Amino acid sequence: MSALIAKLKRTPLPRSSASMTFLLMTVMFAVVPVAAGSTFSTFSVYTALQIFGTYGLIALALGITMIAGQFDLSTLGMYSLGGMVAVKLGQGAPMTGVAAAVLVGAVAGLIQGSIVSRFRINSMAVTLGGFLVLLGLSRTLGDDRTVSYDDVGVGIILDRPLAAVLSMHTLVVLGCFVLIATVMARTRLGRDIRAVGGDARASHIAGVHVERVTTGVFVISGVLAGLAGALNAFTLSSALVNPGFAPLVFAGTAALIGGVGLAGGRGTAWGIALGALSLSLLQAMFGMLASPSWVSSIITGVLLAAAAAFSGLRRQTVWMAWKRSMSHMTNRNPGRLGGNGISP
Amino acid sequence: MTGEMVLTVPTESGRKNRRSIGRAETLLAVATLAVLVYGALTTDGFLTLEGLKATVSGVGILGIVAVGMTCVTLSGSLFCLTLGSTLTISSMAFLSWMSIGVLPALVLTIVMGALVCAVQGLLIGGLAANPIVVTVGLGSLQIGVASWLTNQSTVYPPAGASYQWLSAVYAGLPLSVYVLVALVLAVAAWLSWSRTGQLIRLVGENSRAARAAGIPVTGTVVAGFVIAGGCAALGGVLLGATDGNATLLSGGDRYTYDAIAAVLVGGAAAGGGRGKVQHTVYGALFIALISNMLLLRGFGGGAQMLVTGVLVLIVLLIFQMRRRVR
Amino acid sequence: MAGVTKSYGALHALKGIDLTVEAGEIHALCGHNGAGKSTLVKVLSGIVRQDAGTMAIDGRTVDFHHPGDAQRAGVSVVDQEISLIPALSVRENLLLGLPNAPFFVRHATSELFVKGLLARVGLEGLNPLTLVERLSLGERQLVEIARALGRGGRLLILDEPTATLSDVEIDLVFKAVKTAASEGTSVLYVSHRLGEVLEICDKVSVFRDGNKVTTSEVGKLVKRSLIELMVGEVKGDDTVRPVLAAEVSPRLQVRGLQTPRLHGIDLAVDRGRIVALAGQIGSGAGDVLRALAGLVPEASGLVFAEDKRVRLGSPSASLRAGLSYVSNDRKSEGLFLEQSTQTNLVATRLDSLSRAGFVRSRALRSIASGLARIVGLESKMASPVGTFSGGNQQKAFLGRCLMRGDKGVLLLDEPTRGVDVAGRSEIHRLIRDAATAGNAVVFASTELDEILDLADEVVTLSAGRIVSARPRAEVTTEELLSDMTHVEREVVNP
Repeated sequence: MSALIAKLKRTPLPRSSASMTFLLMTVMFAVVPVAAGSTFSTFSVYTALQIFGTYGLIALALGITMIAGQFDLSTLGMYSLGGMVAVKLGQGAPMTGVAAAVLVGAVAGLIQGSIVSRFRINSMAVTLGGFLVLLGLSRTLGDDRTVSYDDVGVGIILDRPLAAVLSMHTLVVLGCFVLIATVMARTRLGRDIRAVGGDARASHIAGVHVERVTTGVFVISGVLAGLAGALNAFTLSSALVNPGFAPLVFAGTAALIGGVGLAGGRGTAWGIALGALSLSLLQAMFGMLASPSWVSSIITGVLLAAAAAFSGLRRQTVWMAWKRSMSHMTNRNPGRLGGNGISP
Repeated sequence: MTGEMVLTVPTESGRKNRRSIGRAETLLAVATLAVLVYGALTTDGFLTLEGLKATVSGVGILGIVAVGMTCVTLSGSLFCLTLGSTLTISSMAFLSWMSIGVLPALVLTIVMGALVCAVQGLLIGGLAANPIVVTVGLGSLQIGVASWLTNQSTVYPPAGASYQWLSAVYAGLPLSVYVLVALVLAVAAWLSWSRTGQLIRLVGENSRAARAAGIPVTGTVVAGFVIAGGCAALGGVLLGATDGNATLLSGGDRYTYDAIAAVLVGGAAAGGGRGKVQHTVYGALFIALISNMLLLRGFGGGAQMLVTGVLVLIVLLIFQMRRRVR
Repeated sequence: MAGVTKSYGALHALKGIDLTVEAGEIHALCGHNGAGKSTLVKVLSGIVRQDAGTMAIDGRTVDFHHPGDAQRAGVSVVDQEISLIPALSVRENLLLGLPNAPFFVRHATSELFVKGLLARVGLEGLNPLTLVERLSLGERQLVEIARALGRGGRLLILDEPTATLSDVEIDLVFKAVKTAASEGTSVLYVSHRLGEVLEICDKVSVFRDGNKVTTSEVGKLVKRSLIELMVGEVKGDDTVRPVLAAEVSPRLQVRGLQTPRLHGIDLAVDRGRIVALAGQIGSGAGDVLRALAGLVPEASGLVFAEDKRVRLGSPSASLRAGLSYVSNDRKSEGLFLEQSTQTNLVATRLDSLSRAGFVRSRALRSIASGLARIVGLESKMASPVGTFSGGNQQKAFLGRCLMRGDKGVLLLDEPTRGVDVAGRSEIHRLIRDAATAGNAVVFASTELDEILDLADEVVTLSAGRIVSARPRAEVTTEELLSDMTHVEREVVNP
C-alpha cells in the first residue's frame, strides 16, 4: 500500500488538470439540466457568471497566498468586513465605500503579513486570529445585524446584464484576474512570489526579499477580499454579518482544482479562474435543477476534502513544512540520473 | 532560514525548559487576575457570586469541545474546524433519536460524532492532507447532510422524553460543568497513562521521527480525532438538551473558534506534542471571563469575537518570541 | 587569505589556515571528513565567521557576517543542495534576485544574457523556458554554476559537485569550470574524487585535522602520494574483541536488495560482528540501512533476520524483526527533542510495555533506567533531549536500540555525525559493547577513522553497488581511501 502511495507521489501532475475540469463542468452544465427537463438559456450562463463574480475574487485572494506558500484564512473575515465598511461609508458615494473597503483590506493584509514574515509564525494560525478579528469587527460595526444599503440603484447597475451574460460586477472581477495574471507572469514581483512559494530558503540565498514579498502577498489578498465584499454588498444592497464557511470552501476548492498546490510555488491566476468558473458552473447547475442548497454543500465539501487528500498525497503541505521548519534538514530528492540527455 | 549554523555551545540544563513552561501558567494566572480586578472595578455584577457562576456555567460546553480540540492539536494536526458543525448536527441527531430512549440516543450520537471525525483523521494522518482544508470541507459536508435529513427545519425532541436531567442545575452549576471536570480528568489521565495517549504526543511533535520509530501514525491521529468528535457530540447533546430544540443556525461555529482560542491561550501552542488539557480549560475560562465581562458591559457577540481574535494573535506572538529567545 | 583560524566549540576545526588562490586558478581542497574543508567553505561563503585571521579578495580585506556579504564580494558556492526553485523556469532562476531588475520582465533584453550564461556552461541547446524540475541533476548543477557566473563571480566554490552525476554530466561540469577559469574566475574545487582533482585542477591543498598539510601543483603529484598526504596517521584500535560463538546461520542476511538507488546488494552479518558500509555521499551506504529499516517503500529483495523473512517497506515490521535503525539525522528523523530522555529511550517499545492499552509505568521506568545506565545518561533522565550536546543526543538515540535480548540488529547511519572527539570514543565503545552483547551491527560511515576503528568487516559501495567486501585485517588505510575516493574513474551506466 505504501509502495503504491510512493509511486503516486512520483507521478507528474497532469498538465492543465484545471482546463480538463473546466471542460468537464461546461459539458455537464450544458447537458445535465436539459436532460432533467429545464431549458438552457443565456440566463443560465449569466447566473453562473454571477456566482463567479461573487466568489471569484476570494478564490483569487486565497489562491495567491497559497502560491506564495502561505494560507490566508482571513479572506473570509475580510470579505464580510469589506462589505460592512463599503455599506457604512458608501451611503450615497459608492466609490468611497469601495475605496474604504480596499484600504481596510490592505491594512489588514499588511498587519498579518508582517506578523507572518517577521515573526515566522505559521500563516494559518495568524490568519485564523485575523479572521476572528475581522469578522468580529464587522459584526461589531453592524451591531450583529444585517445593515442595508440605501441606494439599490448601485446594485442594479452592477448586475445589469451586458451582452446577455456579463455584468459590471463580473467584468470588474475578470479585470482583477487579468491584472493579477499579468503581474504573476510578467513582472519581477510575480516571479518572486512563485519563487518564495517554491523554496523560500533558496529564494533568500538568491537575493529575493522574502519578507517583503510575503507581506505583499497578504496585502494583495486583503485588497481582493475587501473588494469582493464591497461588490457583493452593493449587489445585495446589504452587508451580511455571517457569510458562513461557504465562500472559503468555494475558494479553497477553486484554487486546488485550478492547480494551486498546498505546498506553494505552483499554480497560476488563470488556473484559479478556471477552477472558480468550474465551480460556478457546478453551483449554477444545481440551481437550475432546483436542488436544495444542501446538495451543493455536500458536493463541494466532498470535492474540497478529495482535492486536499489528493494534493496531500503528492506533496508536502505548508503545514508539514512548517512542522519541519525547526529542524535543519530538508528532504531532498536528488532526482534520477540521466534525465533528458544533453548532446555533448 | 539561511546560514543556519548553531554556534552556541549547548547547555545541558533541563531547568531552562521547565522554567519557560511554568512561566506560561504564571502568565495566564496573572492575566486572569488582572481581568478579574479590572472587571470587578469597572463592571457591575462581574465579581459577584452570580456573575462568577454565570461565567463558569458558560464554560461547560465550550470546555468540552475545547478538550476535544486539544487532542487534535496535540496530535500535530493543527485544528479541526469541523467541531462546531459536529456539535450542531449532534444536537440535532440526539433530539431526533431520543425516540429510542435517552441513553441509547446519547451513545449513538457520540459514536456518530466520533466516526465523522475519524474520517478526517484518516485523511489527515494517512494521506498527509492539509488539516484546515479537510476539516473545512467535511464541515460543509456535515451541514449539508444534516440539512438534507432534516429538511432545514428545527428539530424537537419527542414528547414525553425525559432528558431534562441533562440540562438541570445541581448545586448551582449545570451538569455540563461536572461533565467537563470529569472529562478533563479522564482525558488527561488517558493522555498520560495510555499507550495511544503517549503516542499522540510523539506523533504531534515529530511525525517523521515517529514513523521511523515504527509508531502507527495514522491510527494515532485518528485516535485524536475520534476523541475530538466524541467531545463535540457530547457538547451537542448537552446543548440540545439545554435549548430544547436544535437547528442549523444554532451557532456551532462560535464553538469552533472559541475552542481554538481556548487551546491557543491555554498554551497547547498549536505545535503538537506540547500542552496539557487542563491548560486548555484554563484558557477557556479566561475567554469566558472576558466574554462575560464584555456582555455585562453591553457588547455583543461581534465584540467578543473581535477580542478573542486579538487574544489569539497576542498569544501567538508571545509564544513565538519565547521560542526565539530559547 | 592569511592565517585564518576558526574554532568551533571544543573542536578546532581550522588551525591557522593560509591559502592563496590566483585569478583563473582551479584550486582543489582535499581531505577526508572532519579535516576542515567544509568549515573553510562555510567561512569563505559567509555562513560562519572565523575566530581569527583575515581574508582578502583582490587585495581588499573582507569580513563576512552574512552570506549576502560574501555574495556581494563575488563569492558563490555551488554544492550538492541545489538552490534552484523547481517550479520556476531556467531563465527565471538565472534572473532571480538580481539587483536592479526592472519591474516588468522584458524578455528581449534578458534573452541575450540568459543565452550567454547557458552557453558558458555548455547548455546552449537548452530552452530557457524549461522548468527546472524537468532537468536532470547534472543539468541543474550546470544551471547553478551558470547562475553563479552570472553574478560576476570572483571566486566560485564547488563543494562535491559531482558526487551524484553521471560521467557525461561530469564532463560538462569540467568544461564549464575550465571556461570560467579561463575568464578569470578563481575556482575552489572541494572533492573526495582524487581522479577528478588530478584531471582539472591546477593546485591542490590537502587538509588534515584542521591543518593545511601542503599545497602543491598537480603536475608534481602522483595519485598515491596524494592519498598518503590525506591519510597521515590513522589510529587503529588494537584491542581484540571476543569472538562470539557463531550461530548456525548469520543473524542478518540480505540478498538482492533493490531500490531506485541500489542495484542488488548482498550482505551477511553474524551476531557479535560489526560490518562497515563504506562509501562517499551518493554511494548508497545510507540507502541500504534505510531500506533495511523499512523506510523505503519501493524496496525489494530478500531480507532475513534469524532466518525469518522480514517484510520490507514498513518500519514496524523491521522493528518487530529486531532491526533497530539510527538515522543520520537525529534531529528530524529520530529523537523527539522536547521529550525527556526517558520518553525517547522507550519510544520504540511502548507496545511491549503496555497492557490493555495502558502503559505499565513501573516496567517502563525500569527499562528506561537500564538503558540510560548503559549509555551513561541516567543523571539526565528527565531532561528534554533537545538541550543535550550532539554526543549525548546520539547516545540517547543509540540507547533506544539496545537491550533487545537476543534478536538485535543495529543499523547505524553515521553514528558519530556532529559528535565531538570525546563523545565519539564513548559511542564507539557502546557500539563495541553492543556487539559483544550479541547484537549484529551494520553501520554506514564516510569517516576513515571510524571505519577502521570499529569494523570487523569492510564493505565498500559505490553508485549503489558493492565494490568490495573484505575483513578488516586485509584492509589498509590507503586501499580504503582509494576505494572510497574513486581514484580510478569507472564508467558508470546511469
